[in-house]
Amino acid sequence: MATVFSQYAWLVPAFPLAAFAVLTAMGRQQNRTGGWIATIASLASFVVALLILIERMSGNADDYNGSFDWLRVGGTQLTAGYEVTNLTSLMMAIVTFVSLLVNLYSIGYMKGDDRAAVFFAYVSLFVSSMLGLTLSDNLLIMYVCWELVGVCSFLLIGFWFQKPEARAAAKKAFIVTRIGDLGLLIAILLLFWYMPGHALDFSSLHNVFGTQSGLISTSLTTLIALLIFLGAAGKSGQFPLHVWLPDAMEGPTPISALIHAATMVAAGVFLVVRTFDIFAAAPAAMDTVAIVGAFTAIFAATIGLAQNDIKRVLAFSTVSQLGYMMLALGVGSTTAAMFHLFTHAFFKALLFLAAGSVIHAVHTQDIREMGGLGRRMKTTAWTFGIGALALSGIPPLSGFWSKDAILGAALDDRPWLFVVGAVAAFFTALYMARLFLLVFAGKPRGSAEAYAHAKESPAVMTVPLVVLAVLAVAAGFVMTPFQDWLGPWLSGGGEKEDANGVAIVVSIVVSLLGIGLGWLIYGGRGAVRPDVVSSRLPWLARLLERKYYVDELYDLLFVKSLGRLGQGLRFFDEVVVDGAVRLAGSAVSALGRANTRLQNGQVQTYGLVAIIAAVILVLAIAGRRFW
Amino acid sequence: MITTLTWSDSWYLAPEIVLAAFTIALAVLDLALPRRVGRDVIGWGALVGLVLAGVFVCWHIHDLNVWKDAGKDAFRNVLGGSWRVDNFGNLLKLAFLGATALIVLASLGTVRDREVPIKGEFYYLILPAVIGAMAMSSSGDMLTMYVGMELLSITTYVLVAVRKKSGQSAEAAFKYVVTGGTASAFVLYGMSFLYGVTGTTHLASIGQALPGALADYRAMIYVAFFLMIVGFALKLALAPFHAWAPDVYQGAPTPVTAFLAVVAKGAAMAMVYRIFLNTAQFATGDDSQVRDDLFLALGVLAAAAMIVGIAGALKQQNAKRLLALSGVANAGILLVPLSLDLTNLHSSLFSEFVYYLAAYVLMNIGALAVLTLVSRSSGHEQLSAFAGLYHRAPWTAAAMTALLCSLAGLPITAGFYGKLYILFATVQTGEYWLAAILLGTTVVSYYVYFSFIRQMYMRGGENEPSVRMTIPTGVVIWVCAAGSVALGIFPKPVLDWVDGLFSLTTDFLAR
Repeated sequence: MATVFSQYAWLVPAFPLAAFAVLTAMGRQQNRTGGWIATIASLASFVVALLILIERMSGNADDYNGSFDWLRVGGTQLTAGYEVTNLTSLMMAIVTFVSLLVNLYSIGYMKGDDRAAVFFAYVSLFVSSMLGLTLSDNLLIMYVCWELVGVCSFLLIGFWFQKPEARAAAKKAFIVTRIGDLGLLIAILLLFWYMPGHALDFSSLHNVFGTQSGLISTSLTTLIALLIFLGAAGKSGQFPLHVWLPDAMEGPTPISALIHAATMVAAGVFLVVRTFDIFAAAPAAMDTVAIVGAFTAIFAATIGLAQNDIKRVLAFSTVSQLGYMMLALGVGSTTAAMFHLFTHAFFKALLFLAAGSVIHAVHTQDIREMGGLGRRMKTTAWTFGIGALALSGIPPLSGFWSKDAILGAALDDRPWLFVVGAVAAFFTALYMARLFLLVFAGKPRGSAEAYAHAKESPAVMTVPLVVLAVLAVAAGFVMTPFQDWLGPWLSGGGEKEDANGVAIVVSIVVSLLGIGLGWLIYGGRGAVRPDVVSSRLPWLARLLERKYYVDELYDLLFVKSLGRLGQGLRFFDEVVVDGAVRLAGSAVSALGRANTRLQNGQVQTYGLVAIIAAVILVLAIAGRRFW
Repeated sequence: MITTLTWSDSWYLAPEIVLAAFTIALAVLDLALPRRVGRDVIGWGALVGLVLAGVFVCWHIHDLNVWKDAGKDAFRNVLGGSWRVDNFGNLLKLAFLGATALIVLASLGTVRDREVPIKGEFYYLILPAVIGAMAMSSSGDMLTMYVGMELLSITTYVLVAVRKKSGQSAEAAFKYVVTGGTASAFVLYGMSFLYGVTGTTHLASIGQALPGALADYRAMIYVAFFLMIVGFALKLALAPFHAWAPDVYQGAPTPVTAFLAVVAKGAAMAMVYRIFLNTAQFATGDDSQVRDDLFLALGVLAAAAMIVGIAGALKQQNAKRLLALSGVANAGILLVPLSLDLTNLHSSLFSEFVYYLAAYVLMNIGALAVLTLVSRSSGHEQLSAFAGLYHRAPWTAAAMTALLCSLAGLPITAGFYGKLYILFATVQTGEYWLAAILLGTTVVSYYVYFSFIRQMYMRGGENEPSVRMTIPTGVVIWVCAAGSVALGIFPKPVLDWVDGLFSLTTDFLAR
């Protein structure tokens, strides 16, 4: 099968990169047109990515690899290149599609911001790096893009840097993910050291780890896998590195949708999928991934129950869903993980964008001050509802099929993980019902004036919502128990999801239970009072609201103690290091002054200096031999 | 052995003959043209001559490749071995011709009649200077080399003084004549000792005769080489023989400064490489003491140049003097590959040298071209002339930033990889002290080059006049900036190309 479009895969990240260059060069004058430039670039990327995806779906296309020798260090050749496989083409299509819609949506959302051009430049850079991460054929280039998306995330979280919370959140995101990145870096260095020929490309990794060649010992493989997972956990907000993701909601909402829901946070999952051979060769690492994933799924879902900020609820939901994906990977199903990543990208982007539409209308993020908005914002309410149902796992929406695939895989592998997943699914349905009902149903609780001014967002914002809603409904049909081609297509044959009746029934039941309970509590009928838990178990409500005090614990354990260590080091730095630096600096400037003194403009002096220097040179080097 | 020039030999001298012919033709044209006709036409003529000579050099490279593929030696001795056509010379000739073409192109946009009343002479005198540089890189005999060196020197003495009415220019030219004369005297004196010891001026024969002469004439050989080292150190402006350079660079018209900094320095460097690799690799084993001392002296000079050049540039407020001192440091860096022990671990000295020379050509010519524009708009050459350049001419400021990054050796630029490869070489051969000095001076150099960036981006430029860009100068600036970045992104093709062309055995050791 010819690979016509795959050869041009490099164009996909090139378009947004060009947009970034243009926007940066043009500066702030382009606030009005900047959004359109970014949108057109991502449209171009999307078209190419779609053509590649169609090409790959239409037959058994060979994987395409285009790489060139980048540079040579010592005897080692470093290559840079891209690789088009079924997996990367799917991921590329998701990223370009969501970024296209988010760019379009942002034109409306960022209207009137006097740094809009900068915003779109950052977004374009992000999209380009994310696509580079997706396409790269080796870990080194992937790591470079991995750091680039981290930088973009930092810049965009702190985009409204006038707000101190935004600054703090940006810093926190950068530092916490950095802990994970360090793990990834060490893993890459270990691989570089131990891989035959220092190869870091994925096909070599597959050859070494996938074939049980025994070239690298199991304990080392486990270490490498765990370090890679540390990197993935940092990016994908897995416990205990999840703390940055909810705070990242300080950034503009389209960014939350694009980076912190659909694409970048999924990079951790993608990384594990890409290096899955290493994990498959290390059972202990697989257990870790599964347990951390399952724990994160239920842990974040419970926190989501008690949050009052619309975006934070969604953020914890994202953490929880990413936990599901990790759970799927831990029980050995890359297909289920990628499938959930695929559907989650649509419905979570949809939820965030709809939330942004609400925030845009009422200028608050506190759900206690909302209510009754469904009557004023029909499109937003409907699409948000569809997204919420998809996330809750109601058939036949997309989230049901993908969550069911994960639960089915867990049931086959370790039933107790299935139980954890099912309970988390119950909480998911419950907090989504709470969120939807508090925002869109009932009576307005905020100021009457705000409610009166709330109106539906412009078409440039609602059209992406509708498109995403359609996909949130339909995306699940690529892999159902009745008709499953995604699994064999992604993994190149073999792996096929077995329909598991128990999993299907349980997952439908817990979802309905969750929604039903939510309706009873928040539906306005007063069947169960909202403070039923907080009045009886106030400590539990408080614990959830404070997110299990993880932030406080970190503050106590790391921030304070490191701060004290920092003060000590600063003292050392000021006295010892600065002293040395000052000494070196003054030595150099003294030399410079001496030089200037010699440079008196008299050519006789120059000649004299030359003669003296020549004599010294000869005596010092040759003269010592005749002494 | 007297060999006369045959018709077939002249093919191997074609690039030099072309330049000579153009010099004469342009000189006649300058005489014949009426006064009211602008002399830019002579500049364009010189440019054509340079390009044509470059084409012939490329042709030679192609010929040598064909011979190599046919299994023959890829070099050619002409005129009894006093002239060699090999790829060492060819690559350097290309560098010199390219650099000169860029300089001429930049001058076409900036040199004004008011400053240089004899513009025609300015353009056609550059050509014999290039012939001299080419002779220095392409000779197999000390005499031919020396003649080339004098040809280059004497024409550049004139070129420095070309701003006839400027006292500063005259002073610079005078200092340059005196220093250049001193340097020539040292070099010639050293050469005469070498001739006395070995009885020949032919480099390869000297190389053969020296190991035998070592026992009887040890002191003489020391004297011979150290005199030459001192002479070349003066020519190359290595510290502490560099004091003339800032004065001369400041006084000379900026295009001539660029020529001195790039072509004259590169040619002297080529001569040093050729002489030392041909003759000073004598006697390994117990008798390697003299050789080790000579290369140590080169290393010490390189280190001193790096340190003193950068330290001097730290407090410098005049942009041209600053670049002159930065040139001192860069000459030190260019000398490092030669000073390292030539073992099989380190046989890549030539690609390191040529790569960094190419980087140096681009960044220096580019920076001086920007300086020309900026100083012309503000009327002085202080660093403060760059104040707020970002607001006045953002694109030029961006190009200058790329050039400065290359000068400072920041990734991903040509300067970065050039320094990196030389650093690798120092570590490979175990010369850690040179590596440390290279690293230390690089760090200090950030401060030096960032003083430009500070001016361009962080000082207001509200009161400064706007910068008027001319097309030829703009082309030069962008070629240099883009080249600096491109060499940094794709260092490998260039290095592979150079490695593929150059071979130590063919280019230096084959007789």
